[in-house]
Amino acid sequence: MLIDVNAWLGTWPFRSLRDNTPDALITRLDRSGIDKAVVSYIEAAFHRHPQSANERLARDVEPHGDRLIPVGTINPLSPHWEDDLASCIDLGMRGIRLFPQYHNYQTDGAESRSVVQACAQCNLPVFIPHRLEDVRQHHWMDPGQSLDLAQLANLIAAVPSATIIIPNARPLARSPLWMREDLRDLNWYFDLSLAEIHYGLHKSTNAMKDLGYLIEEGGAGHILFGTHLPFSYAGPALVKLAILPVDEEMLEDIKYRTATKLLNF
Amino acid sequence: MTLDIESGIRCPKIDMHCHVWLMDGWEQSADQLVASGDMLGITEYWCSSIIQQGILAPFEDVPPHNNTILSAMARHPKRIRGWCFVIPGHFQDAIGEAERCLDAGMIGIKLYNQYRINDPVLHPILELASERRVPILQHAGYPVPEHRASQPLISHGIHFTEASEKYPDAILIHAHIGGGGDWEHTVREMRQASPNVYIDVSGSNLDDGQVEYAVSELGVERVLFGTDGTMAGSVGKVLDADLSEDEREHIFWINAERILAQQGAAPTEPRTY
Repeated sequence: MLIDVNAWLGTWPFRSLRDNTPDALITRLDRSGIDKAVVSYIEAAFHRHPQSANERLARDVEPHGDRLIPVGTINPLSPHWEDDLASCIDLGMRGIRLFPQYHNYQTDGAESRSVVQACAQCNLPVFIPHRLEDVRQHHWMDPGQSLDLAQLANLIAAVPSATIIIPNARPLARSPLWMREDLRDLNWYFDLSLAEIHYGLHKSTNAMKDLGYLIEEGGAGHILFGTHLPFSYAGPALVKLAILPVDEEMLEDIKYRTATKLLNF
Repeated sequence: MTLDIESGIRCPKIDMHCHVWLMDGWEQSADQLVASGDMLGITEYWCSSIIQQGILAPFEDVPPHNNTILSAMARHPKRIRGWCFVIPGHFQDAIGEAERCLDAGMIGIKLYNQYRINDPVLHPILELASERRVPILQHAGYPVPEHRASQPLISHGIHFTEASEKYPDAILIHAHIGGGGDWEHTVREMRQASPNVYIDVSGSNLDDGQVEYAVSELGVERVLFGTDGTMAGSVGKVLDADLSEDEREHIFWINAERILAQQGAAPTEPRTY
C-alpha cells in the first residue's frame, strides 16, 4: 500500500499541467504504483470563498472514493468559514488545507490558529503547503511565496493538539522547525516530494545530508510519502522511498500506516 | 505499465553536473557524494568548485578551487572527474589556468555568472575549448526579476544561441533546466542554437514535463543527466519522464559518453547493466 499525501486536481493558471483530472490522475497513480492520493482543487487557492471548489471536489471525487481522498480548503478571511468547515466534514473531507500565502494572512497569526484549533477539535489534519511552485519562476500575477518554517513552528507550538502536514518543504534538517526541539514530539509531518536524503548542494558538511541528518536525529516519524503530482514528477519521491535509510517498520509507516491514522481511515 | 524504479536506479548514469567544494571537510563531502551515487547507479561525477554570486575575485582565488577538484579526482580516480573553473576576465591567466587543469586531466571548463556566455571576453575560452574539443558548462537560467537582481549577468538560452552562432563547433552546456527560473522560456530560446548546445536536467525544480519539453525542443541527443546536488530528484525526474528506454539511456549515459569521445576520453568504467 502506498498513499500520496500531496496531489492535486484542476488548473494552475501559469503553466499547463498534465494528468490533472480525476481519471488522468488515477492513470498516473497506476503508472507510479500509488494506491491512494490526497487531493484538493488548485483553484481553491485563488478563490476568495473556496467552498464552491470544495463542493465540486467532493462531487468529482465521489466516483473514485477508493483512490482519491478529498481535502477541503478553508479561507479564514471568508465570513462564516466555520460553516464551510462543518460542510467539509459533511462532504466527507479527510482534512483541511490552508494557503496563507494565497489568501493573504499570517501563517502563525490568529486566523490560522483559529482554523487549526477548530480542526484539532474535529480530529482533522491540516495541510499547509510550503509552496505550490518554485518561487524562482513565479509568474508576476502569482502571489505565492514559500512559507517561513519558523512561523509554521510557531503555529504548531500554538496549537499542540493539532496535526499539521507541510508538503513541499525543503530543506528540513537545519530548518527552524526541526531545530525547535520542544516540537519534536508533536504531530507535524512533511513529505518526500522535494527534500533530498544523502547529499545536497551545501558548502558545509553539517548540512549536506538533509533528510539523512534528520533521520539520524530521530525524525523519521515525521516523514510521509508525497509527490506533488501533477505539478511535479512522482519519480523523485519514489526514488527517495527506495533508498530511505530506515528499517522495514518505519518504511511501512512512511508508505501508508501513518497517513492512514492521520486521515482517519 | 508501472514505473520500474528499482531497475531504473540500477541503470548506470554519468552525473555531468556536480560539485565538491573548497571548504574544510571537502574530503568528507567527496566521500559522501560517491556514497550517495552508489545508491543511485551513478558511476562518475563531473565536479567543479566555483566562486558564486558573480564575484569578480582576484585570479589568485581561483586555483585553490581547481586544486580541490584535482585532489578529489586523486582521491576517487574512478568516480570523480573535473571541470576547471575560470573567470574569463582574467584573460591570459584564465587561459593558463584552463590549460593547466585540462593537462592535469580535467575534462571541461566551468563558468559561473561573472559573464554571459556570449560576452566577447569569453572568445579566447571558447576558442580554447573548441580546439581541445572539451565542453563548457555554464550556470544558467531565466529566473524572475527579483531573483535575477542578485545575478544580473546570468546566461539564458538566447545567449547560448548567440554564442553558438559565432562558435558553432564549441560544445556548450546550459546548466540545470531545474535550477530555478522559467525553464520553458530558456529552452525555447535555444531552438535555433547549434547542435553542439546542450542542456542538463539538474536542479531542485522537479516540475512535471520538464525533461520531455527539453527533448521535444532540442532533441534527445542534446539533453544530459546531471544532479547539481539534487541526487534522487534528478534520477527520479528522468525515470518518470514519458520517454523510451533508448531515450533515457541517451540522457543517463550515451550523450555524455559522446562528449568525452570528442576529446579522446571514455567513461571511467564501462557501462554494465
